[in-house]
Amino acid sequence: MLVHRRTTRGKLAVTLVATAALVINALPAHALNFSKEDGVTQSTITLGITSPLTGAAAPGYNKVPYAMQAYFNYVNDNGGVNGRKIKLIIKDDAYNPVLAKSVTNDLVLQSKVLAIVGSLGTAENEATTRFINDHGVPRLFINTGFSGFANTAKYPTTYTVLPSYVMEAKAMGQYIKENFAGKSVAIIYQDDDFGADALKGFATAGTNFVAKIPYASGSQADPTVVGKWISGLAAAKPDVTIMFGVSSATAAALGGAYKAGFKTQWVLGSVGGDGTTIAAVAGPTAVGLLYGAIGASFLPAPTDTSDPYVAQFQAINTKYNAGVSFDNNVLQGMNTAMLTVEALRAAGAKLTRANLLAAIAKSGSTFASAGFAPLGYSATSHIGYNGYWFGTYGPTGAIKPVGGSYTLYTTDSGTGAVVKTVSKRPAMPEKGLPNN
Amino acid sequence: MRSRRLSAFHRALLLSLLGAALLIASSFVGELRAYEGAQVAVYVIAISSITLLTGYSGQISLGHGAIMAIGGYGAALSFSLWNFPFEFALLFGLFIGTLSGFILGIAAARLSGPYLAGTTLALAVGLPTIADQFKVLGGEQGLNFDIGDAPSWLRKIEGEDFTQYKWFFWIATIIALMVIWAITNLLHSNYGRNWRAARNNPVAASLAGINVARGKVFAFTVSSALASLAGALFGLLLGLVTPTAFPLSLSFAIVTGAVLAGVGQLAGSIVGAVVLVAIPELSSALSTHLGDSQKLIANLPGLVTSLLLIIVVLFMPNGLRVRIFKNKFKST
Repeated sequence: MLVHRRTTRGKLAVTLVATAALVINALPAHALNFSKEDGVTQSTITLGITSPLTGAAAPGYNKVPYAMQAYFNYVNDNGGVNGRKIKLIIKDDAYNPVLAKSVTNDLVLQSKVLAIVGSLGTAENEATTRFINDHGVPRLFINTGFSGFANTAKYPTTYTVLPSYVMEAKAMGQYIKENFAGKSVAIIYQDDDFGADALKGFATAGTNFVAKIPYASGSQADPTVVGKWISGLAAAKPDVTIMFGVSSATAAALGGAYKAGFKTQWVLGSVGGDGTTIAAVAGPTAVGLLYGAIGASFLPAPTDTSDPYVAQFQAINTKYNAGVSFDNNVLQGMNTAMLTVEALRAAGAKLTRANLLAAIAKSGSTFASAGFAPLGYSATSHIGYNGYWFGTYGPTGAIKPVGGSYTLYTTDSGTGAVVKTVSKRPAMPEKGLPNN
Repeated sequence: MRSRRLSAFHRALLLSLLGAALLIASSFVGELRAYEGAQVAVYVIAISSITLLTGYSGQISLGHGAIMAIGGYGAALSFSLWNFPFEFALLFGLFIGTLSGFILGIAAARLSGPYLAGTTLALAVGLPTIADQFKVLGGEQGLNFDIGDAPSWLRKIEGEDFTQYKWFFWIATIIALMVIWAITNLLHSNYGRNWRAARNNPVAASLAGINVARGKVFAFTVSSALASLAGALFGLLLGLVTPTAFPLSLSFAIVTGAVLAGVGQLAGSIVGAVVLVAIPELSSALSTHLGDSQKLIANLPGLVTSLLLIIVVLFMPNGLRVRIFKNKFKST
């Protein structure tokens, strides 16, 4: 019989090797000391983004970083920013805050980016806040509408691009009041901060509901849950039903109502109302369910080729992002990249993190962009667009403005009034290349 | 020939030296490595929970990510809502996880092999989403908090650059080494011997007077205590607990770490943890080298992990243990 004899020396060796592994793992970072001008050289500007490239949230959103990269490559081929080429480092966070924190650490401490731009998700951005604040890293034009990011004391270096969900709900409430006066209204909403923001906005707008149907995030995958939504709606018989959830929930609600023969006027929140994303999560036939619904957006419709921004971004997409279909995600990615280039230009040739943040606070509200709503950037506000226009979905999932022109409903995240205006969007810079 | 084992005192001495070396080393490294070091320490505890359960007690769990979630939410809830001090929040997470593990362990003792694996897998899928159902747990956004910086006296000693990540590294490393010491002692006690006996031959163990079912419940409880401690540390270091922070892939990751380490090797858990933390970085460097395409960035970490697992299972079934000295065998 063989007996395995473990010696004391052997155990000591394993322990020492493990220690060495940890120490060796640690040593290479010694030289990577932090400096304030991280991410800027004579010839390059390095930026980073964390976004879901894998996992349940990836379909649709995974196009955003590559659309941004395509736009930066276009700018680089046309001289860059103050002679510097932009490099975007893309990291997958799988819509997981743990991964978001790890990859943000990598971007800031290892890749030494100047700023994080366009990162997606509320929890994912929340997870990195302390670290971002400690290092004074600009976190620009992030892709979340959580109203908490309006707190400039808590998030001093963070700027969002989306209007807050409170703003969206207030604008939607006003639109319903004007266009469906006296009609009964119901809502299906995600039961978390996203939905809480929406309810807050609708309450401020004075919207009364005959039925309020909350759902837990992820439960939309369960047909019995969707069945309960529809039976709840059928019992309340609303004339208008608001769907304030993600794309998969929107597809489930529309599909469930169609199967049950339940008819209502759907009004869809912007997060879950993109036809391409619905097609990606629920199949191409699901897009047809959007037909006749009302949706909200602050950008032009991606199918509106008469819009100069859309036409320019489509041309860039064809050349620099070959093979990727142009949709709202691509449009939003390129628009975010354009805002980033304008911010970099506004910061001047002596580019630092502090200069960059100061430039957005000073002149961010004047940046040219595809959005019809005004940008709200100032020293006291870090929220981007502050309004929405409303449109109707056609049979292919394309949205067109009600009445043929873009009428804006602008507001704030507080109790301010909703103001109906005509867009005064700055003209697109020549060839889509910022000249501020 | 009787093997020469370290006494509990010598183990404590050795681990104290190791701890001192690591804490000193943390002064010479950047924040990124300190954070990764803290991650390694948390994974060491989590992998140890699997090593103890599977390698020593013979029970298979694919759901320890869910038990980590219980520990994480317990600690986060007590810290952020009930204002427990950091240390007590950790202990509360440990307590809640251990209690849950005890209850689960009673059920687990009646199951074995694929049935136990399937049950725990269902737990990993379902449990974190329960947080969505309760407002007090923060729904999908979870609970967000900040454990703050190191005590001022420590910052005075260590200086200005003693960042929060280095403080995390200290906390996690000290706790991980204490756990290794405690578990090593436990495995060398009667309990450890009884677990191994019941794992190798339950019938023979029963005939020898060992209460196999009780041993399984105890092993599951201790393993859950470790997993919940790892989860509590995980949440407190992240400053956030959400359902997405404890995905199914976390359960698979710690099992992967245990397999890479060698399921029966407690010391190997350090190697397994280092590999788990190193894989994303290795994949990132590789994808940059190969052109940084979307497909590469998205798929390379999974590919590298899978290849490593296949190689280890085929060629190093006892794990990635580093052997400087060849084992000596003696015929008896």
